[in-house]
Amino acid sequence: MNIAIFSFAHMHAYSYARSLKDLPGVTLKVVADDDVERGRQAAETFGARYVRDYQDALKEPLDAVIVTSENSRHAEMTVAALQAGLHVLCEKPIATRIEDGHRMVQAAHDAKKLLQMAFPMRYNIPAARLKQQLDQGRLGRILLMNGTNHGKNPGGWFIDPVLAGGGAVMDHTVHIVDLMRWYTGSEVREVYAEIDTRFHPIGIDDTGLLTLEFENGVIAALDPSWSRPQRSFPTWGDVTLEVVGTEGVTHLDAFAQHLVLYKEIAGQAQHLGWGDDPDLRMLESFIACIRAGTPPLASGHDGLQATQVALACYESARLARPVKISQ
Amino acid sequence: MGFVHAQAWQAIPEAQLVGLVDTDPNLLKTLGESIGVSGFPNLDTALREVDVDIIDICLPTHLHREAAEAALAAGKHVICEKPLALSLKDARAIIDAAAAAKKQILVGHVLRFFRVYQKARQLVLDHTLGQIGTIKTFRGGSYPKGWHDWYGDPAKSGTLATDLLIHDFDFLMWCFGPVERVYAKSLAGHITGAADHVLASLRFKSGPIAHVEGTWAYPKGFSYAFEIAGADGLIHFDSADKGPIHTLLRSGSERNASVEVPESPVEISPYQAELAHFLEVITHDALPVVTAEDGYNALAVSLAVRDSIQSGEPVLLPGRTGGES
Repeated sequence: MNIAIFSFAHMHAYSYARSLKDLPGVTLKVVADDDVERGRQAAETFGARYVRDYQDALKEPLDAVIVTSENSRHAEMTVAALQAGLHVLCEKPIATRIEDGHRMVQAAHDAKKLLQMAFPMRYNIPAARLKQQLDQGRLGRILLMNGTNHGKNPGGWFIDPVLAGGGAVMDHTVHIVDLMRWYTGSEVREVYAEIDTRFHPIGIDDTGLLTLEFENGVIAALDPSWSRPQRSFPTWGDVTLEVVGTEGVTHLDAFAQHLVLYKEIAGQAQHLGWGDDPDLRMLESFIACIRAGTPPLASGHDGLQATQVALACYESARLARPVKISQ
Repeated sequence: MGFVHAQAWQAIPEAQLVGLVDTDPNLLKTLGESIGVSGFPNLDTALREVDVDIIDICLPTHLHREAAEAALAAGKHVICEKPLALSLKDARAIIDAAAAAKKQILVGHVLRFFRVYQKARQLVLDHTLGQIGTIKTFRGGSYPKGWHDWYGDPAKSGTLATDLLIHDFDFLMWCFGPVERVYAKSLAGHITGAADHVLASLRFKSGPIAHVEGTWAYPKGFSYAFEIAGADGLIHFDSADKGPIHTLLRSGSERNASVEVPESPVEISPYQAELAHFLEVITHDALPVVTAEDGYNALAVSLAVRDSIQSGEPVLLPGRTGGES
């Protein structure tokens, strides 16, 4: 199976490319990147052919494309790949505008090809175990959730409003909202968001505290802020979720499986994960879905729903009042 | 451990679990029925009635040699829970029997299949931590329940030093090579009737010094921890730290009654990874991650620790020179 990666703008591209190397019968054939130096280097590192324009890559004998460009470019690349008859794994958030997201989902439907959203948290073993326990009714009925997806200021295009479509709230809301939707089987009905720029001297939001209500009545809070100290915090951030049910409470700390390393020359403590790699499991599942012709665990529709919540949060913060999401 | 291994075997597609052997007919019936595997009252009957390639021995340690020799004599490969035996003489006899039968004897030092220990070893071997100075380990909790309280009988389990701390001894030798000398104290060796709690000091031939702590004297729970300190860095881990999943369940009708359930799930359990590896070794003649000699050497250190507890003196490992090096 031949794969292309469209742009190494998003750092997850490196992890996905490494994962592809570990999958039998899968080859990373082409790297397309309009940043010549970055693209050439990545192509060389992973043994792929480099092209500057992704349109040229579409002429190659490919099976699927991984889109890891700047958020605002997901739509054009994804739609072009689907229309060329290729399956797509698209980095989150699906798009920066909801119309773009709809176009992508429609294109997958028309081309009868897979559009999977890169929601690796569904492949994080502790998060998946919690899903299994909830499905077994262990916590009873879910009543409330409180989650975090903290991070650091990623810089680069992530803090460019046009390319990223938003800051921390755009970047980090969707992972946890996706887990919450997966766990509850319900959609977000209403959001209230306080959003600001309070940690870094940047022209985009790095601070968000969100309050959500689901259609089934579950209430939830979420902190997607880039609030972890840049140098001294021992890891990139976190994914945590408290789930309160009628029969009990579970705390998920999805990256708790780590060693702590204090390295003299690093000048800071570091967490070194030893748990299963969710990116590898996600890529494995993407390939398996293509081979078996089965729908992905997280689809374009899921990406659209999560991004709709992030966009509604910006709207709520602008208006300083709760905003309803119409399905 | 038999339960854990039975579950792990059933998760390995290349293996078929064809028989369970136990002297307890009730246990055989319940477990056998729940997993759909026939039970046998003794090894001889099982060997006669089912076609089998591997015997996996999860007996109390004092019964290892007899079972291993019988299985090897019948031409079967043997997987044996740690410790390989209670004495070096018995351990050597098992290894020799395997050599004579041209069959594998593989010892269940499962720590080598725990991700966190693998990661720690990698950081030692790739020199991330620089020259290693000290290692501190902890393992233990409340007193383990076993068949006829066999853990409490030194003639059956060989005491905590042999039964529990052998895990850490093997892991440390996997990282740092042979042990030069040991010195150890224990509560049971100190106060008559006390639950066992051991403090052992290990000096490695390669230089590092380790303090290994093990206990069966805690009021509840079980956990393990380690710290490895080098000239360029330090790592630590404690399984008692809050893990990825921590659940509090309401229990019964009382307002404040609850059960706490911590979990740290991985896709493939260390036990399954271990048995799958052993199967690979047996079927493809691959090199084992842990050899029978490793099992023998870990036992030698465990016994030296026990001897030091009894004598109050440092014990040099046999065949190696002592001194300040």
